[in-house]
Amino acid sequence: MKSQRILVTDPTLRDGSHACSHQISVEQIRRYATAAEAAGVDYLEVGHGNGLGASSLQVGLSLVPEGEMLRTARACLKNTGLSVHVMPGFATVKREIAQALEIGVDLFRVGAHCTEADLTQRHISAVRNAGKEAWGILMMTHMASKEVLLEESKKMQSYGAQGIVLMDSAGAAVPDDVRQKIGLLAEKLEVPVGFHAHNNLGLSIANSLVALEAGARIVDATARGFGAGAGNAPLELLIAVMRRQGYPCRADLYKVLDAAELAAQLFAENLPGSNSVTIVSGLAGVFSGFAKPVQRAAKQLGVDPRDVFFELGKRKVVGGQEDLILEVASELAQRKQSAPPPAPLA
Amino acid sequence: MSTKLKVAILGTGNIGTDLLVKVLRSEWLECRLFAGRNLSSPGMMKADQLGVPVSSKGLQSIVERRAELDLVFDATSAQDHLQHAGVLRELGLLTVDLTPARVGKLCVPAVNLEECLELPNVNMVSCGGQASIPIAYAIAQANPSVEYVETVSSIASRSAGPATRINLDEYIATTEEGLAIFSHCAWTKAILNLNPAQPCVHMQTSVLAKIKEPDLARTREMVGAMVKQIQAYVSGYQLILPPMIEGNRLAVMVRVEGLGDYLPKYAGNLDIINCAALAVAEAHARRRADGALALKNRASL
Amino acid sequence: MSRLEQVRRDAEAVLARRTEPLQSLANGHLFISGGTGFLGIWLLELIAILNARHEFNLQVTVLSRSAPDFARRHKHLGGRKEFRFVEGDIRYLTELPRETNYVIHGASLTDRRLFASHPTAVGEVNALGSIRLLRAANLLEDVRKLVLVSSGLVYGPQALNLERINESYVSGFPCDTPNSVYAESKRFVEAMAASFVSETKLPLVTVRPFAFVGPYQSLELPWAVTDFIRDSLAGRPIKIMGDGATVRSLMYASDFAYWTLAALARGQARSTYNLGSPHPVDLLSLARMITQHFVPPQEILTKVGQSGHETTRLVPCVDKAHRELGVEVTVPLSEAIQKTIAWHRTAENS
Repeated sequence: MKSQRILVTDPTLRDGSHACSHQISVEQIRRYATAAEAAGVDYLEVGHGNGLGASSLQVGLSLVPEGEMLRTARACLKNTGLSVHVMPGFATVKREIAQALEIGVDLFRVGAHCTEADLTQRHISAVRNAGKEAWGILMMTHMASKEVLLEESKKMQSYGAQGIVLMDSAGAAVPDDVRQKIGLLAEKLEVPVGFHAHNNLGLSIANSLVALEAGARIVDATARGFGAGAGNAPLELLIAVMRRQGYPCRADLYKVLDAAELAAQLFAENLPGSNSVTIVSGLAGVFSGFAKPVQRAAKQLGVDPRDVFFELGKRKVVGGQEDLILEVASELAQRKQSAPPPAPLA
Repeated sequence: MSTKLKVAILGTGNIGTDLLVKVLRSEWLECRLFAGRNLSSPGMMKADQLGVPVSSKGLQSIVERRAELDLVFDATSAQDHLQHAGVLRELGLLTVDLTPARVGKLCVPAVNLEECLELPNVNMVSCGGQASIPIAYAIAQANPSVEYVETVSSIASRSAGPATRINLDEYIATTEEGLAIFSHCAWTKAILNLNPAQPCVHMQTSVLAKIKEPDLARTREMVGAMVKQIQAYVSGYQLILPPMIEGNRLAVMVRVEGLGDYLPKYAGNLDIINCAALAVAEAHARRRADGALALKNRASL
Repeated sequence: MSRLEQVRRDAEAVLARRTEPLQSLANGHLFISGGTGFLGIWLLELIAILNARHEFNLQVTVLSRSAPDFARRHKHLGGRKEFRFVEGDIRYLTELPRETNYVIHGASLTDRRLFASHPTAVGEVNALGSIRLLRAANLLEDVRKLVLVSSGLVYGPQALNLERINESYVSGFPCDTPNSVYAESKRFVEAMAASFVSETKLPLVTVRPFAFVGPYQSLELPWAVTDFIRDSLAGRPIKIMGDGATVRSLMYASDFAYWTLAALARGQARSTYNLGSPHPVDLLSLARMITQHFVPPQEILTKVGQSGHETTRLVPCVDKAHRELGVEVTVPLSEAIQKTIAWHRTAENS
């Protein structure tokens, strides 16, 4: 089992976009992509945090237009494949996917909320028809049972997905959840299964390791964990652990460590860390990418961002529903205003 | 002779059936025909139970009964409407198209109802379009330099059936085009989110805009007025976040609660397009009644 | 004790100190298709107690072809203001009452005599009716749980050396014979239900009932237990086709209804539960259990059928229901038989 090579996908330049309000520059792309190519990761994922076509007022405008981001990365990569994240509802076949195909993207990871796989049918088909590789991504996987995840994965497989990756978008999973879910999919699906961890509860490496033990053959990790919320599984730690446990991969440890050092410099202002907001969002099961907009709205309306997270969690909001942040924060602010003053202690 | 406008509904799925209930309640319209392909579909059976003439011959039944009809609602599919449009035009039948086919002019009653009454075929854009376009229009009216308009709709997963899901890209394209036309802003974007939460969430739509020197007070005024106009034909339309400026963007949020005629109330996204279509037909009916009255008055002079 | 009194006591007994697990149903609106059959009437008896004695305020709409007739014949149920009886054929259902939160879909053709002469009706009512209902359920405002009443027959024949079969058991039977149409239609309905769940995420629970006995069950039905009781009451000998080694299990009606309500209140969406007694009984022993209530006891004849008559076994494992629904058998078989015979012996209008 451990003789099979593990595919490493590095979304530093995509998930990392969330960490810096989508302000990744051309220079950062060029320098990191070069390091990623040298490090030997299998795929480098580039683009707005929410994928193709997501640059918007809703989830944040990208500093650099999508085409330019992809072209910049494309030019730096040779053996490492160029990957993009695609969410139907944001990206369309005729516009964003067509442009990405033209630029020479190798892998399209088409994602939907973990119960809505049928949204990806046309997009996965379009990619496959164009002769490129497509994977299916299920997001916010803490919100569905393993049986539901299997059912949804099978749909994506039937559309032509050549890999299925479960994303713990909220960083809410604990190792046993991962073992059960990845285990079932690895057992029942024909295509390779992958895991994308977030570190809100400090479990990203543990969860990724358990995923591998349960049969995952694809793992996502970013340099220094540069990504949404409390960040992703740090690439340099994951490669080190994989080496320790005997999981073969194409990546070179030293070059990965170098890439991580570079990332520490390049993204110094936005390196992920744990704080009360990221911990609470992990507990509340709310998408990691909400951290900055929640903090902003909470500050603007004078409410506790932690309360906003728990309220959003109660409403079971999913990625892309950032507009609800304003509504919830406003509601909490109103509630605060109309609440009676605390009774004085006798 | 009744002054009610005689209508046919083509397409007997959930949308057509919900529209039927609205037509039956209308003082201005009379449903002469509910036509589709399958007599045993729930919609057909309901129509029959309600005493409405049904037919499984689809468009053919409309051709056969042309003399009894004034207007047709097409609630089939874009593909089907492309076939229907030509025939309906030749028959001289007023057509209200609820599919994304976009053969006729895009119609958002709160904005351009009058112009649309002059045309034989109008298209109701999309669900998200009906909710967001009037707001985008009001924003454009209040601000001379709108650089970019975006709308995000969040709907209950259960309100999105297989047809909606497979046509997401078409929905986006149609809505973006509608936004561009009505707000005179070339750069537009539409986003759709499905929320699987239980109990089902109501449809919520945000309109976001990038504006050079926005006039917030005037925007609030125009949006407020527009909301009232929409509420005249969509009673469940609610402004939940009045225009506000957050950072570099203007944001407005509306929620649409459906009437629950046949579709559940949380499917406000489907309800609004039916309400809009109904508004067009009723306007035709009123205009004809006014015209008849004017004639009558002249005759009696 | 009158028939009504006996049933009421049985309903109260099964609910005694067991209403807590059903609490989530309170103040809801339940739609029961086929609510005038054997299970249906017992569900209504239990709900009547829940409403009258435990303030559940559970509103019920019953759809069946014989609904108005039922309401007339059973005034103690037909007269309850929170029960509404609607006449209709499940094949032509277009909409469910808007306020419906819960659904128990039990409408199906179950009469084995009908299967023989009119198997196409079985397929049509069971399959078509279920599809109609599931489509209608998808238009509800706030549907919290649906229970699909399937059948233990979906498993196919049980291997003789297996004591009990659990929910993952798979066997088989030929699909191209009308003899299979009932079981096939139930299997098809389960597949359709799973498809609806996949598309729409309806919160559906499936129960697979096995065999039952109790008041209200028509003795005209050609099951072993009803045959035996009918013949005994008529003073005729009990006739067993084979050597009496065929094994079944029987659950009393009040437990059947309680378990169904428990599946509705506590069943996990997308789960399937066997519903029946796990205690096996061979036909000969069953016959003896029945004849002991008669003086003198009936004669029991075995090997009445052809020599090639096969011994079969059908006994469910109900550990899953016990674990997840918190249910158990409260009426032992001997008591179930005794109560049933007593009820039939009681004059109808006493």
